[in-house]
Amino acid sequence: MAKNEELEYVTPAGVKVSAPPHINKPKSQFTVFNGINGFIFVLVCLIILVPIWKVLIDSLDLTTGYGLKLIPTKFGLDGYASIFTNPSLLRPLWVSVYTTVAGTFLGLLLSTMGAYVLIQWDMPFRTTFANILLLTMIFSGGMIPSYLVMRGLGLTDNPLGPILLPAINVYNLVLMRNFFEGIPKSLFESADLDGCSPMGTFWRIALPLSKAALASIGLMFAVAYWNDYTNFKLYITNRNLYNFQMKLRDMMQSSDLPESVGSATENTIRNACVITAILPFMVLYPFLQKYFVKGINIGAVKE
Amino acid sequence: MSTVTATKTVPQPKKKPLRQRMAKYWGFYLMFIPVLAFVAVFHYAPMFGIRYAFYSWKIVGDPVWVGLANFEKLFRQSQFSVAFWNTIVFSVVKLLLNTGFAVIISLLLNEMVSLRFKKLSQTIIYLPHFMSWVVTASVFSLLLSPSESGLVNQLLIKLGVIDEGIYYLADKGWWRTWYYIINVWRETGWQTIIFMATLTGIDPGIYEAASIDGAGRWKKMRYVTLPALANTIITVLILNLAKIMNLFESVFVLQNSSVQRATNVLQTYVYYQTFNSGASADYGYTTAVGLFRSLVGLALMLICNFASKKVRGRGIV
Repeated sequence: MAKNEELEYVTPAGVKVSAPPHINKPKSQFTVFNGINGFIFVLVCLIILVPIWKVLIDSLDLTTGYGLKLIPTKFGLDGYASIFTNPSLLRPLWVSVYTTVAGTFLGLLLSTMGAYVLIQWDMPFRTTFANILLLTMIFSGGMIPSYLVMRGLGLTDNPLGPILLPAINVYNLVLMRNFFEGIPKSLFESADLDGCSPMGTFWRIALPLSKAALASIGLMFAVAYWNDYTNFKLYITNRNLYNFQMKLRDMMQSSDLPESVGSATENTIRNACVITAILPFMVLYPFLQKYFVKGINIGAVKE
Repeated sequence: MSTVTATKTVPQPKKKPLRQRMAKYWGFYLMFIPVLAFVAVFHYAPMFGIRYAFYSWKIVGDPVWVGLANFEKLFRQSQFSVAFWNTIVFSVVKLLLNTGFAVIISLLLNEMVSLRFKKLSQTIIYLPHFMSWVVTASVFSLLLSPSESGLVNQLLIKLGVIDEGIYYLADKGWWRTWYYIINVWRETGWQTIIFMATLTGIDPGIYEAASIDGAGRWKKMRYVTLPALANTIITVLILNLAKIMNLFESVFVLQNSSVQRATNVLQTYVYYQTFNSGASADYGYTTAVGLFRSLVGLALMLICNFASKKVRGRGIV
């Protein structure tokens, strides 16, 4: 906008007026503030990305001393070759995959069914049910009693343990309930009048109308299962049942590294393992980001 | 969330007997059974295990009743008090740092002119939140390595700040510093989401009015944006303060044997005492520590719930 051009505003009545003199100055696209602000964000983004970038680079570099390099000097994929030809790493990956798939499905099932029951406002004992769930958010038996229960049920050293335990997530259930509340009641009522059973209404009305919420909450479950370390650490001691996070931790701590293929060094393999752990998510992340943000907003901005 | 049922102003027909009303909902009760079963097994069953806090039990043999002896022992242990204060200090400092940075970043994001760059920045700063704590710890232990492959040490040596690599994560003081830095790196971006949601909800009319009154960028930030954020900031602080006793994984994965005792929090203390002290582990004692943790957590929850009702008119659970 040229400097001497006057700003004009159109009032709701359609009258053109010129702006008062003190705001009648060009909205310049580049001020010092915007410049500094932009610079700050370039810096912030670099601070976030450089650590990840550095690991990625080192996983592709076959030399030993990495130091300050931000591009590989001796490019090679031997680090990844070592991982994917080694059965001791493929098994943890497989454990991660199946616990994530099974857990996410189960978690979504429990959250949606629980949430659906909690929106039946006139149902006797509804409040009792809600309180039973909410109490678990403020008090817990603690790590050792939980361990003893899991052990008593034979869920230690059993992949079912880390699948079943995180599947009941009251926080996610409440998010789901908040979402269901937004569905017009009349839809449920008319389904009821048409003789649809509660389960039928749930499958044919509630779930199909909640695709966005299902995506968000399903992703939250999936990330939690994929990233789960605590439950595996507590309940799994058999190395054959380790998930990828456990395996990665082991490799970082000790020298429990897979045998190297070609000229991959120990450090290269370590870096390659970290990248393998985050790669599936990194690839999907740009497409999924909006669902994550939506998910947090279902719960948070309900004020 | 409220558990208050909608009250109707229309005069109600006479209530049917309970059994009839329940019969109408039989399908829903059926649907709730799995949920109740999971909660019972994984949340309520452990609560019965709390009784071991009053026993001495080395997992083999029978538990021996010791009354409050476990609690007396616990208050005498210096390791316990270290872990207790670490829990409080780590969580509170981390919470204040994360929230502070998140507010600053949100305010700056809100002023960003280029929408494209804003979107890109948001995508990037949310990213670390989705990396597991194990991955985060791995990335930083590689980055902070004292050997010649560690980026941070190499950079500082090149700049002439230090002469040789420091093993940051094996030094008490440095460990804490890096613990906070890593937390800010991982969580700040994600925390901005809730502040950005509030900021986009501010009526642009208020900004226009402020402009007409001659307010510049700083004055608008100070007198319009910040007050609008105040409520959200308090909400975030209260919500997170209620959960500070849960600290576990982030500390656990960054610990190593040389700093473990000095950096323990209650949950890691319980873990090491139970699973890493060989055959002598007293499950009764560690259950007592866990119970103490749960009770402090409960007290914090209730206080925060009360504060939340005062401040924003509704509780946190």
